[in-house]
Parts: sequence; structure tokens; C-alpha cells
Amino acid sequence: MFGRKRKIKTSDPLVRKLMDIVGESEVLFEKEDLVAYECDGYTMYKGMPRAVVFVHDTQEVSDVVKCLNEAEVPYIARGAGTGLSGGATPLGGEVIISLVRMKRMLHLDLENRKAVVEPGYINLKLTQSISDKGYYYAPDPSSQYACTIGGNVAENSGGAHCLKYGVTTNHILGLEVVLPSGEIVDIGVEGVPDLPGYDLLGLLTGSEGTLGIVTKVTVKVLKNPEGKKTVLAYYDDIDDASQAVSDIIAAGIIPAALEMMDQVAIEGVESAAYPVGHPRDIAAFLLIEVDGIEAGIDDQIEEILTVCKQNNVREVKVAKDEAERALWWANRKMGFGAMGAISPDYLVQDGVIPRTRLPEVLAEIREISRKYNLRIANIFHAGDGNLHPLILYDASVPGESERASKAGSECLKVCADVGGSITGEHGVGIEKSAEMRFIFTDEELEAQTNIREVFNPQDLLNPGKLFPQPGRCVEVKRANQDEVQLV
Amino acid sequence: MIQSGTESILPKEQIIEVDEPDHLLGNGGVQIMEAYSEEDISKVLTYAYENEKTVNVISGGTKRGFGGETEKADILLSLKHYTGIVEHSAGDLTMTVRPGTTLKEIDEELAKSGQFVALDTPWPELATIGGIISANDSGPKRLLYGSARDLVIGLRIVYADGRVIRTGGKVVKNVAGYDMNKLFIGAMGTLGVISEITIKLRPLPKFEGLSLIHFPEGSESEIRNFAVSLLDSMMEPVTLELLSPSLAETLTGKNSHTLAIAFEDRQKAVLEQEKWIKENLPANVVHTVIHQEQAQKWWEDFRHIGPNGHNDDNIDAHTMAALKIGSNNLDVLVNLQTAERLAETHHVTIEGHGGLGHGISRIFVKGQPEDIVQFITEFREKVEQRFGYVVCTHLPFRLRETVQVWGEKPAYFALLEGIKATNDAKRILNRNRYIGGI
Repeated sequence: MFGRKRKIKTSDPLVRKLMDIVGESEVLFEKEDLVAYECDGYTMYKGMPRAVVFVHDTQEVSDVVKCLNEAEVPYIARGAGTGLSGGATPLGGEVIISLVRMKRMLHLDLENRKAVVEPGYINLKLTQSISDKGYYYAPDPSSQYACTIGGNVAENSGGAHCLKYGVTTNHILGLEVVLPSGEIVDIGVEGVPDLPGYDLLGLLTGSEGTLGIVTKVTVKVLKNPEGKKTVLAYYDDIDDASQAVSDIIAAGIIPAALEMMDQVAIEGVESAAYPVGHPRDIAAFLLIEVDGIEAGIDDQIEEILTVCKQNNVREVKVAKDEAERALWWANRKMGFGAMGAISPDYLVQDGVIPRTRLPEVLAEIREISRKYNLRIANIFHAGDGNLHPLILYDASVPGESERASKAGSECLKVCADVGGSITGEHGVGIEKSAEMRFIFTDEELEAQTNIREVFNPQDLLNPGKLFPQPGRCVEVKRANQDEVQLV
Repeated sequence: MIQSGTESILPKEQIIEVDEPDHLLGNGGVQIMEAYSEEDISKVLTYAYENEKTVNVISGGTKRGFGGETEKADILLSLKHYTGIVEHSAGDLTMTVRPGTTLKEIDEELAKSGQFVALDTPWPELATIGGIISANDSGPKRLLYGSARDLVIGLRIVYADGRVIRTGGKVVKNVAGYDMNKLFIGAMGTLGVISEITIKLRPLPKFEGLSLIHFPEGSESEIRNFAVSLLDSMMEPVTLELLSPSLAETLTGKNSHTLAIAFEDRQKAVLEQEKWIKENLPANVVHTVIHQEQAQKWWEDFRHIGPNGHNDDNIDAHTMAALKIGSNNLDVLVNLQTAERLAETHHVTIEGHGGLGHGISRIFVKGQPEDIVQFITEFREKVEQRFGYVVCTHLPFRLRETVQVWGEKPAYFALLEGIKATNDAKRILNRNRYIGGI
């Protein structure tokens, strides 16, 4: 007893209460332990949590939530922390409820094509655990080796293959959720479709952890396609590549994936862990994958090759085997991380545009790059119009972080102005909350925050995210400056 | 009284006083107000909200028998004249359309560009896109193409107080803010009136085929095993729909449990999959395959079964009901058989079908009103034992008072009520049309 008490050097009575629920070893409260939770994958803003609590089952989540409600302390649910918009980043003083220890698969029913997992279950592990039977889980964010299904639900994550198969929301059949009141609700965990009543599954998916904490997830699993072929096409002119994208869709082909990278992005991936040997002097490449019934694929590949050639492709080739295909994808999926090889820091953006507007949007992004004197790489889920401009900067150069942030915001404005969106799969979080005004009026934002109030009336669950906050911009800038000085 | 001041809302030729007897399906209005624009919708709702007038919403009328405990609201807002495609961006595979446009009109227009809306819902020449979305209607092809929640990417909604709110956007991938679109899909117009829909499209299939497999009586395990083996193969059926013997007789002339398996792809891929079916057929089944126009015609007939809001009969013994059943995929077979058995003991006739790969079944019931009520009550009990639910998508008005259209309220009903109160605090929109009296 004495020994244990000596270990716990906290005068925070809340920490003691949380330890009573989850056990002493399951609460972090010392500064050096909390540093790792200052931010998620979006590193431009950092805030210190009050404590981190590791929960092990639904009841613990409920008990912790009730305890925090009583103390009126704000809290955030967190998975692997791979989010790219600051959704799991504290503004300061929140308790982080970490769901990483709730990582079991609870039920697998292949006949009915569904699996029930806990929120801390890792995305890729789901596919790996059923692949021997020929099944997989479709949403494949680039962080899939680390990110959790619970986090995917919160962010409504996408991935390279969602052009044909849809994003997370299209694959969620049921949820168990702990509401901000601490109440545990079962919203179709059995996985029966079209449950009577408003579509709470659809509303909760992508609500960025502001409406409830997901404790069980029922997902749809799919059978592997019979065949798959992958094409790589090199272009000297980015407009030709863009036109090829539109022409492929217009030909009535829905590829499983249709990705584009521009010259700066190629420079990055070729300098990183999985170089393919892409020519450095091309303007862009397209990575196109078609899957489905084997007998129908060759015709589609022929059509794609024809379209590519009609649009002045320099070189186009079909992956000769699985090893080559895997290398092309590893190279592509390294895209964001690879920027580290050519720039000290980078900021990822996530705009969406009607795919037919690609050439003009890319021209405007080039203009933004010139204006701020920052290089911008473009990695693009071209098939569904989801653009990831990567703004390269050096945080140690005074003022460059702010310039990068402004350039990112301007890229989103361009997307919004052509009828697009400010985020396709990374979420709003802290990063883009001000930019929500690019696409929604105050009334429309209020319609959404009113819904939040139904679930989260005290706004203790992940406060300050997703919606514009008066004065937030100033706060973010200050945080950046502090960071820069520290560095 | 009610009329006073209504001329300032809409021109008088857009307001019709209803002096006909009560409609068999209810959900009418003392006055019909016809909207020709979003502004009209907004004006009507602003007036209704300020004056606490109740409003029912209608366009094609195919879902008039779906929910609702109000014979007549103060106003029946009709959207059937608010029609037309606002924008079709073929290169983006998206379309923006007004709610009163019928699915048939939409698909005829889109076909010119080789595209379509992937919703194979019934009565396409009558049912409007706004009604289909509001009722979350779907057909067998949802197995591969998904349902409304997978296709709708943006909406314009006129809220109960007349405000116009946009949800979602015009791009196919979008996670900015809450996915508010989802709230309005299947909400039966209780949260707002949909005034514009942006929806994802698909290219028309290059080739289509339909395999019909008729099973002899007593083949339950063969049907199940065959469905499981097909689902476990790498084939990509667009439908795996099981028809009751009675429905199979109507559509194919053969009175036996029948699987309707559609393939839509490149011709080579369709033929290859049909070859798989042939090679894996169970013993003693009758197998027919049709292609292209013949297959299209078959599905066209399929979309013209069951009640449509205009084909009810006033004779008691011909009373019609329609049920939507949600269940685990493979329980579709069990539920269909339960329905067949109960139909016999309750002296009603049924036609039914359900998707063994998607878990939604439809059952059309005919008979005396009291028998139908008994049938539904017992059938629901059985379905619920296997975690499923039964929703009555069509019932005459007076039966809706005795049968719970939506079943029991869920444990989280307070959230649904809270959402309703947020969007329509005075409860003027489609009052009592939805689950738990929302």
C-alpha cells in the first residue's frame, strides 16, 4: 500500500478517481508521459492533456465518462493518434480516453459478411485476419498499418481504393456507443441494414469524436476480387494526365483506384524507402487499378491504355507481377512520409473538387506556391477528386509555418470555390475549423451544432473541434510561434 | 379560417381546397399547396410554422400508405410540379435534381450519356426521387450498388421554419462537418422537406444477364448452401434475390422458390459468371438464363409488383399491405418461409422476395384487414426473435392505428426525439408519420 502510494505523485483528485475505475497503472498524469499525447498526426498545434486513461471495456468507458461529467472536465477519445487534422489533439486540460487496449475482434460471421471489432482494432489487422479465407475490409487509409477502426469511424476515413468501394461510412453496419451522458447504446451491433429511425450510424460516422465514444464496431467485409491489374502511366503534361482521368471515367470504367502524383511528389517518393525508378522529368504519373471478374479486366485495361495514349502519354505499362504492383503501391502509400526526404516539414491538405476541374485547380495551386514561395507537391486520389497538396516548409525558418498554414488554407479556398469541399477524408479537427466557413453559412453550421447539442449538450466531449471558434486563429498562431522558439 | 391569408403565400391556382371524401391511405390535407420552386416550399413552411399548421408532404403518392396517423393535415404540400434535372456533370458522374422528378424521367435523360441512378426501386414512372430518398426505398440491386445512403452526396433542405439549409456538397467524397445528408434519408420528411438532391451516378452496364434458378419444394438447405457458396466465391452478383413461389409464378410462371441472380459487367465477365452458376448448380433445379433486353424487361416487371399508392381496392377482402423486413443476410430465407407458413394459417396471400446478400426483404400481403393485422403481428414476433425488424411500408389508414408501422421504439429513442425537436420544434412536418409517433 505505502509503496503504491509513493509512486502516485499527484495531488489531482480527478486522477485518483480515474485510477479507482481503471487501475493505477492505467492512468498517465506526469508531464513526461503526457507529451506523447500533445498532438496527433497534425503537428502544427499542440496542447497538454490533464491525464490519459486507458480503458479496457465498454463499462469502463461509461464509468470514466460519468466521472468526467461529474467533474465537468472535457475529454477526448483517442485511438492510434494518426489523424491528420488534430481531432485527437487536446486544446489543453482535457482527459484523453485511450481506446488502444480495446483491440479484440469479438465476432466474425463470414456467411453474413460481417465482423464485430473493438475500436482499438487496427485497420490492416482486420484484413490480415480474414485474408486466408479470401476476405478483406475495404477502406484502406495510407496509415492502415497503425490506425484503428474506431478512429476510422470517427473520421469517416477513406483511402486509395474508395473510388470503387466507398469510404468508412459505406462499410459500417452497427455501433455500440457510449454517449456523453455515460449511457451505453446499441445502434445495430447485430448489423441488420436500414434500422428504423434516423440514421444515427451515418451521423456518428465522421462526427470526429464529438457525439459519442464508439466501443464496438460492426463492419462489412468483402470477398477479394477475382482479378486485379495495375497500370502506370507517365505524362509530360499534367493537363494530359487530368484529361486521361476524365476520359477513363467517361468510358464507363470505375477503377478500384485512380491516383495521380505530380513532379514534386515524385521527387519525394523516389528519395524515400520504396523508389520505383519513375523518371524525374515527367510532369505527373497516373496509377490506375482495375479489379473484378478476371474475364472482364483485360478489355478494361485495353481501353485504359488507349485513353492514356490518346492523351499523349510518354510511357504506359501494366504491372507484370504482384511484386511490381506491390512496389508501385508501397511507393504511392509512402507519399506523405516521403516528403520528409525532401523537406524538413510539410503540411498535408485534403481538398475535394469535381474531377473535371482538375487542370484549373492545379494551375491555381501552382500560383499559390509561387505567391508564398513554398514548394507544393500534389498527391491526388484523382478518380474521386480528392486532392492532397503537400506544402513543404521549414519550421525553423521564422514565419514559414504561418506561410505554410496560409497557403494550405488558400488551397482549400480554391477547392471550395469550384464547388468542392475542404476535406475528403482527413476531417476538419482543429486544422480546418475556420475553413468550414468556405463551404457553410452560419445557419448551416448552426444546424450542425444543434445536432451536437442533442448528443453532447455540455460540450465536454472533444470541445472546440470541427466548427469555427471565435478567436481560434490567433490561438493557433501563438502556439506555432512558441513551438518555433522552442525548436 | 385556414384559407385566410394563404393567397399571399402562393398564387391561388397553386392552392386547391380538398372536398373529396377521405383517402383510403390518409396522409392528406385540408388544402393542397403545390410548389413549383424551393421558394414556394419555403413560403408554405414559413406560413405553416408561424401559424402552427400541420403539413404532410407528397409528390408521386406511391408512399402514401407508409406511416402516418393523420387522416388530413392542415396542408398537403405537393412537390410533383417541382421537377427537372438542375445539373448533370457526366464527367463527374454526379447529378443535381429536383425532388418531384420521377426516377424514370431521370434515367431516360441520363441514358443519353450512358449513365443511371443505381436505385432499382419499384414503380419508377410514379415514384419521385424525393420520395424514394425520404422513404429510403431500395431494390434487389442494392447488393452491389448500395442504397440511397451510399449514393446521395448533397441535399438542399427546407427546414420546418422555412430556412434553406444545404447538407453535404457536390463532390463524391466529403467529410466536412457532420454527414447531415444521412439524417434526411429515410426520415419520411419529418426533419425538413428535401428541395434538391445531388446524387452519384454509375455508368450503364455494358452487358447484363439474369440467371433464374427454380428449386423444387423442400430445398431450403440447397438454397442456403448454394447462396453461401456463391457469396463465398469471387463472383460479383448484382442481385441474389430469393422469390417466394407465389411471386415466382407471377414473374416466371413457375411456382417454386426461385433465385434471381443478375450480373452486370463486360460481356465476357457476365458470361464467365453465368458459367460458374451452371457448373455449380444443385441437383434437380430448373435453370434459365436471359440477357440484355429480356433481362431488362424481367426487372421492369419486377418493379411493378405490390401496392403503389394508386392501386388499392376498396373491397375489404382485397386489402393490401407491404412489409419491409431487415435481417441478417441469410435469415432472409427463414423469414420468407415463416411468412409463407403464416399466410396459410391466417388466410392471407403473400408474394415476397429478399436479398440473401443484403438482408432486406419485401412481402406483399392481401386479404381481410383483420387477418392482415394478425399476420403482421405474428410475423413480426418471429422476425424479431432473430434480431430482425418489420416495417409496414403500405397499409390502409385505419389499419395503421392498430398495427405499429415501425415496431417498438429503440432504447435510444430520446436521441431521435431530440433531433426532431431540433429541426422541427413545433412538430408541424409529417406529424406522427415516423417511429414512436415522431
